Amino acid sequence: MEKIIAVQNLRKAYKKETAVENVSFELMPGNIMGLLGPNGAGKTTTLKMITNLCSKDKGKILIDNVSLDVDPGLALSKVGAALDTPSFYQELTARENIECFASLYKSIPDGQVTELLDYVGLSTQAEKKVKKFSLGMKQRLALARAMLGQPKLIILDEPANGLDPQGQIDLYRLICDMARDKKTTFIVSSHQLHDMEEFCTDILILNKGKSILQGKTEEILSETTNIVDCILEETEAFLDVLSKFQGISLTSHKGNRFTVKLETVCLDEFIKKLVACNLHIHSISVRRNSLQDLFLKLTGGDDDASAN
Amino acid sequence: MMHPLTKLYVQKMFRQKLIYIFFTCFFTASFFYAFLISTPQMEELLNINIEVVGRGNFPEFMMRFYVGTVGILFNVFLLTLYICEEDRTKILYQPLLHGESRSRMIRSKICVAVSMSMIFVLLTAIINYVTAFMRWGYEIFERTAIIRTAGKYLVCGIYMSCVALGIITLCICTRNTWKTIFVVIIYMLINSFICNTSILFLQKIWIGYYPNRWMFSYEYQGMPLKEMPWGICVMAAYGIFFYQISLCRTRKIDF
Repeated sequence: MEKIIAVQNLRKAYKKETAVENVSFELMPGNIMGLLGPNGAGKTTTLKMITNLCSKDKGKILIDNVSLDVDPGLALSKVGAALDTPSFYQELTARENIECFASLYKSIPDGQVTELLDYVGLSTQAEKKVKKFSLGMKQRLALARAMLGQPKLIILDEPANGLDPQGQIDLYRLICDMARDKKTTFIVSSHQLHDMEEFCTDILILNKGKSILQGKTEEILSETTNIVDCILEETEAFLDVLSKFQGISLTSHKGNRFTVKLETVCLDEFIKKLVACNLHIHSISVRRNSLQDLFLKLTGGDDDASAN
Repeated sequence: MMHPLTKLYVQKMFRQKLIYIFFTCFFTASFFYAFLISTPQMEELLNINIEVVGRGNFPEFMMRFYVGTVGILFNVFLLTLYICEEDRTKILYQPLLHGESRSRMIRSKICVAVSMSMIFVLLTAIINYVTAFMRWGYEIFERTAIIRTAGKYLVCGIYMSCVALGIITLCICTRNTWKTIFVVIIYMLINSFICNTSILFLQKIWIGYYPNRWMFSYEYQGMPLKEMPWGICVMAAYGIFFYQISLCRTRKIDF
């Protein structure tokens, strides 16, 4: 299968400050890549370089095998984007706005504007002026605009901003449906780590302009941690056992629920020790990595990140 | 056929309320002025002779208000709304996300701005002729005065187009509404200084000198044909310079 986008060694510096350094990734049709990172990590700059709104100092961007340097017009004709805070001609209606931008395309099928407005759930608000729209409605309208011309790649910069929980779920569902049915590739920058974990096929985490983690979401999250949650009958006895063993530390406990960290012993060994001490285990589970845990670990528990 | 982007910008321009407010005010002011200057008290107060500035000369008399200050200020407010505010609200670059090139975008903007500045001069002329007709009737239609005034309005149109190009260049370079307005006000002060100074070399290469000279030093007279080619070349050179700078800068902007 042909790559939809291939980014190689992207670099951008503003005066002395490096905004993006050596960022590379590739995406196939139908992939949804979550671009994560604390504020100022270089996410928007990366997206702006891909959409040619911002010049790059170094690197190569191929969109559907067309180099952005060689033929930006052709390369960008395959891209739809909604960057920054959604902006429209305020005095025009939603439909007029979309029609304005649709007029820039050589061939937009009749009824596509109505179809798009319907697709993003704005068909009943189509004749309303954009200045009366809420931020969430503008986000949806921005998505409709990004979908004009049926692009192969859609880039969304924090699309869930201003959307209510139901709106966020609808948006992500819409993205997943498009990726599955139309094989549209998405690059979505967001701070909604839980949602990104749910629907992204690929993850790229940036910190201080550098790529610190990237790969398939499943692979990234499949690695188990050494944190174990267990419920035991004998609280005091278990605490006594723990104090005797080396390589196991108690992280927290509430009643007969314990969280322990296995430092030098493996899970099998830990269970054997509990059984050997005649402790009755009600349940035991190894914690799975969450994107939030990974994010906080990798970005050093940045305030911005932890807030999300 | 008009390019879709240019068409979009024309539609956007015609939706600017400022245009309608300005021309309504201009028409009202022109109308009242035409009647006010006819009274002996106002003639004395404004130090004008109605026999000189009235009738067929009235449109030329009124032109000075547009070309001197009001027109430039109107253009700067309109164009900053048209470029800087669009840039601030992130709508300026939207066409680029739909496959338009930066050059096409700025060329369309320039095309609309220059055409509109010409149209505004034409509108000013129409307003002045209409109010003059309402005050003096058919007396305003003197062949020589009409030809002479038409020539001056044409020069005014060329000058205002160059000014519009300069304002666009400033908008693109500063990307800030207030900085642009500030620089234009400074330009107006410098222009007034250069036009009234005796530094001949500076005057000869200054964009605002010739229109100012032809309109004020040759008021109610024909323009000096001999110096017109050079004067128009100076304005055109500024126009080309501003156009190139705008184009070059737009290609390098990091939005």
